[in-house]
Amino acid sequence: MIEIFLVITIILAAGTAFVRNINISHIMVFGYFIFLAGLGVYMAEHVGETFSEYFLSDYMGLIFMAVLIVISFSSALHYITFAKKREVRPAEAALHNAGTIFFTGAMTGVLFAAHFGVLWAFVEATTIGASILIYHNRNHESLEATWKYLFVCSIGVAIAFAGILFLGLASQEKGSIDFTYAGFKAIAPTLYPGWLKACFLLVVTGFSVKMGLVPLFNVDIDAKDAAPSQVGASLSSVLMNAGFVAIYRFYEAFSGTSILPWMNTFLLITGVASLFFAAVYALRVRNIKRLFAYSSMEHAGLVIIAFACGGIGYFAAILHLIMHSLTKSSLFFQVSQMHRIYNTKLDEGIGSYLKINPIGGLVILLGFLSIIALPPSGLFISELMMVQALITNNLWWLAVIIIGLVLVIIYGLATRMLGILFINKPNGNIYEKGATVWESVIQLALILLVFYIGLLRPQVIVDTINLAIKTLPI
Amino acid sequence: MEDFIIIIFIISLIYLAKAEMIRSYVGLLAFQGLLLFFTAYYKLQEIDVVHLSFILIETLIFKALFVPVFFLRIIKSKNHRNNTGPVKGYYSVLISSIIIAISFMVAHNMHDEHLQVKYFTAAIASIFVGLFIAINHKDILTHLTSYLVIENGIFLLSLALGSEMPMFVNAAILLDIFTSVLIMGIFFNRLKDYFQNTEIGTLSNLKD
Repeated sequence: MIEIFLVITIILAAGTAFVRNINISHIMVFGYFIFLAGLGVYMAEHVGETFSEYFLSDYMGLIFMAVLIVISFSSALHYITFAKKREVRPAEAALHNAGTIFFTGAMTGVLFAAHFGVLWAFVEATTIGASILIYHNRNHESLEATWKYLFVCSIGVAIAFAGILFLGLASQEKGSIDFTYAGFKAIAPTLYPGWLKACFLLVVTGFSVKMGLVPLFNVDIDAKDAAPSQVGASLSSVLMNAGFVAIYRFYEAFSGTSILPWMNTFLLITGVASLFFAAVYALRVRNIKRLFAYSSMEHAGLVIIAFACGGIGYFAAILHLIMHSLTKSSLFFQVSQMHRIYNTKLDEGIGSYLKINPIGGLVILLGFLSIIALPPSGLFISELMMVQALITNNLWWLAVIIIGLVLVIIYGLATRMLGILFINKPNGNIYEKGATVWESVIQLALILLVFYIGLLRPQVIVDTINLAIKTLPI
Repeated sequence: MEDFIIIIFIISLIYLAKAEMIRSYVGLLAFQGLLLFFTAYYKLQEIDVVHLSFILIETLIFKALFVPVFFLRIIKSKNHRNNTGPVKGYYSVLISSIIIAISFMVAHNMHDEHLQVKYFTAAIASIFVGLFIAINHKDILTHLTSYLVIENGIFLLSLALGSEMPMFVNAAILLDIFTSVLIMGIFFNRLKDYFQNTEIGTLSNLKD
């Protein structure tokens, strides 16, 4: 089934690229999402099964598949308005829609791959899909961002490939070269730990560009800024999740070996460094899209820190990723409207937003409260669990540092976002008709879902996350 | 013969680090492509004919012909003169030699019977010399060169693991083809139209 789905992805993406009628091009994307949802249902019914050695269905993949369907669908809906208001040419829309299909298919491959080589190939494919989407506006900024993204991602993915080659070297000692997750996990405890460490180091470094972590985070920030807002939303949510899943697969395979404490320390350092850089930049940035991009980096850092703590931290990390995806994509979607109204991305040109576009302003206000993890946001629950995980590990001193860095970022976000909402700034020409109510309603629905999960913690979500992390050491 | 080819490959890395003319890069990349063709031919004779043919065609046609010809076309249309970074001349030779020496020491101390020290040394040296070139220069073409040198290193690394992994050698090749064609074919041509010179320093519109 998944092989058929991937073939359909390639055929449909190639076909969409040549469609010169914008409406048909949009219909092809939504038709593809019906296939995507169908695949999701099929994989959920066959959970625990592997398909032709290269793919598997597990709860981890299914959780992020659900997020992928919701965000990609919302993103495609927002692109309809974007294309209409910006008067995008049919050829550009066709390429964007083809890129959307290819990018979504590549991320689906990352989520359900059962083989390290296949996983790597799909991560590489996301680079190509994302590059097409980032290039959409075809101006200096988008070209520069695409070039940098493609170049650094290629180097990152090449570094990760070197890491996978080290796995081959490690397993050759045992006379077996089995790159499936299950096969490798079975022999991992008997392998030379030095090779496993080298592999993990290179893989995390290489895939950091996808998750938006230190060291390769720069191009990710540029890409989120220069790309259309709905693309920025995808990069900040579903691609970040895919990057996490890619790192998680290696972590899980090595979790039964003696290098587990080393991996946790390494992830902890990466997470804290990401948080530090996000805090430094969040204070000085004036561009609202870049501010949200640095906020995503902060949350990626928090996820990795929670994950490195183990125990309750595993649960917190997965919950945090889901909640962050819903909130951050809503905020990015809203930036598109903001840009239509004020014709700027800089905070000094945007003011009194709650008065000018009340529903859009409400999205920003609730999104702000959610992203800074104020109750009843679901992010409050996950961040509380993170602190709990740190204290359980006797890392209370680190918890203090992390809370301090998070407060700095909250200050950076608050000064810009509250200013945008409530302060009357000397604006230029305001085009109030740029607001679109139905778009804001979708965004509000996503944020309210985060509050709903935070308040009620639906059992189905709790159970699914617990099933996804049950293979990890306690 | 294998040893001789690998030694020549390592020497070509030193030349690449020292080269200051874009035209020198073209010649050295073509030469490295040829060396990798012979290396793959000697190293992978045990694998099946289809895989071997794919690898040999890729190294010869893509690395030794397509990439250099593409570079030459760009140079013809642009006025590429000296290309120097902060570390110049014999200092570059010194740094690349240190990288090679460290790579050899690392490979030699691995104590792994499956690891082929000479391939591993050349692979690691190629990756790090590539990174050094990328850091040391600002020209987009030089950055492309550095990416291709890193790719050559990855290709050698897959050979270092022996002939039991043809699938991964093929994967390394696909990485080469997909990304290089995309970077060079599409975006470089566009970049060239937008930005009048190819200095990476001109790509600085995106700021906080």
